[in-house]
Amino acid sequence: MENLAVAVQTSDVSLWGLFWQAGFIVKLVMIGLLGASIWTWAIIIDKVLGYGRAKRAFDRFEQVFWSGQSLEELYRNLGEKRTTGMGSIFIAAMREWKKSFEKGARSPIALQMRIDKAMDVALSRESDILAARLGFLATIGSAGPFIGLFGTVIGIMTSFMGIAGSKSTSLAVVAPGIAEALLATAIGLVAAIPAVIAYNKLSSDAGKLTARMEGFADEFSAILSRQIDEKLAPRS
Amino acid sequence: MRASVTSSAIIHAVILGWGLLTFSAPKPMDLANSESLPIEIISDTSQLQKGDVKAPKAEKATPKPTEKPQTKPDAQIIGDAETDVETKPVPSTKPKVVESAEAPKQSDLPVAKPDPKPEVKPETKPVPVPATEVAPEAKPKQDVTPDPITAAINDSKPAPTPDAPKVEPTPQAEKPAEEAFKLPQNVAKPEDKPKPAQAQTATTPERKETKETPKPTKTAPTPSKDKSGIADQVAELLNHEKPSGGGAKRSTEQASLGATKSTGGAKLSQNEMDALRGLISKNWIKPVGAPDFPDMVVVVKFRLTKTGEIDGTPTVTGSGGDAAVLSAAKSSALRAVMRTAPYNLPQDKYVGGWDVVELTFHPAVDD
Repeated sequence: MENLAVAVQTSDVSLWGLFWQAGFIVKLVMIGLLGASIWTWAIIIDKVLGYGRAKRAFDRFEQVFWSGQSLEELYRNLGEKRTTGMGSIFIAAMREWKKSFEKGARSPIALQMRIDKAMDVALSRESDILAARLGFLATIGSAGPFIGLFGTVIGIMTSFMGIAGSKSTSLAVVAPGIAEALLATAIGLVAAIPAVIAYNKLSSDAGKLTARMEGFADEFSAILSRQIDEKLAPRS
Repeated sequence: MRASVTSSAIIHAVILGWGLLTFSAPKPMDLANSESLPIEIISDTSQLQKGDVKAPKAEKATPKPTEKPQTKPDAQIIGDAETDVETKPVPSTKPKVVESAEAPKQSDLPVAKPDPKPEVKPETKPVPVPATEVAPEAKPKQDVTPDPITAAINDSKPAPTPDAPKVEPTPQAEKPAEEAFKLPQNVAKPEDKPKPAQAQTATTPERKETKETPKPTKTAPTPSKDKSGIADQVAELLNHEKPSGGGAKRSTEQASLGATKSTGGAKLSQNEMDALRGLISKNWIKPVGAPDFPDMVVVVKFRLTKTGEIDGTPTVTGSGGDAAVLSAAKSSALRAVMRTAPYNLPQDKYVGGWDVVELTFHPAVDD
């Protein structure tokens, strides 16, 4: 009974105590999961802010684009700044347009193809940027609980080894070990649950933004195609 | 991205710090007020020794001593009754009732009769006088047939009028006190009833009469059927045994802790134990070096089925001696135990006796 009393007294059941008493592997798992949680939330914050920015930028660009301003003027204005999203696609298409006409393009079909290609590349680059690091959220969302469970299993294993060592089956001997082991699962869940929710939300947001960019690219492609026809027809 | 990482880290730090503060001291469950329950370990009821529930523990398991000698050899329940009764014995203030309706008359009469007789027939000697008075009637008959009891009975029967015994026995059983006073009025009575009283005093000449007495009393119930009818019959048939008299098994020793019946747990006697050891020793080929280590002890423990087969694997432990010799002795002991099976042991002592057998051998000393 004295051993039990000692065990009860020494076991610190606070959060920090639980962490500090845990074994090396369990500690490693906890630290890793904490880091993953921090990174997950960093991504979430970054993406939420970034998507909001991108959405506002798209709105502004579309407003400017459809304001009746000439494409040349718009290209001059935007070419001086760093552009993202629709702006980048517009710049890519206009750059290709300019280059083709500077060197005296003769084939309207080839020009159209080149412009589409340039816009596709820009579009995929932009959508990659939008969806960047979302995969990490998915990974944490699915693997986090498992990692935490691994820490728990290791911790409980250690606890039971402790029982075998002390030859006492009293709960007071086992409880701290199991509590600290379960902390690992708790951290895993804490990291995983927001990651899963955020991944679903952000990936659908990214899909929406990408679709919007694709729509713009198609529209701009149609406008450029009309322009090509208008510019090349009188010459031929 | 850097800004969001820092902000995320800051949020985590804040939440963790808050958690450390609030989570740090979970209130320990208050065990101080809970009262510890006393736990009484009750032994397995399947292995009870015969004894008394309230008596202290003793070396030998014995039930509470009884007062009468045992009459029924196969009785199981301890008590002073004639037959086994399931109810527990209750201390009674009254004297014990005897089996039949006839018997109580004998015990009651000596007390009741001496009083009424002097009243009715005021002669100087209360008890012997009625005997001598009546005796002349019976004596001539006895003279004719000197010893044969049957003849005496036949003679004595006509002499007492059948009415007298009929009336007496039945009412006495029901209302002993009232009838006792009426008795002396019946003429024939004095013959029969003084005799039991005299029988207690054990005077030699009256032996013949005592022999006669039981028979008239036995004849009495039969005529009573004619007169007082079914009520008497029922009274006879009624079990006059006291329901709380306990059983018929007698005991002479001080009571020890136990139940009312033995339900097993009989241990093997020393002889049987020695026989068992002998059986195993006979099959035991001891290692060569065994006699050199007199301190070597081998303990064999095994379980047996009811048929005497070994159940499971015997466990052999040992101590002392050289390690090699000890292990050889242990393995040879195991072989000996296995070879001795099946064990032929008394079946009634299986439970608690030899269902688990643990034997200690000294290989150096034992034969």
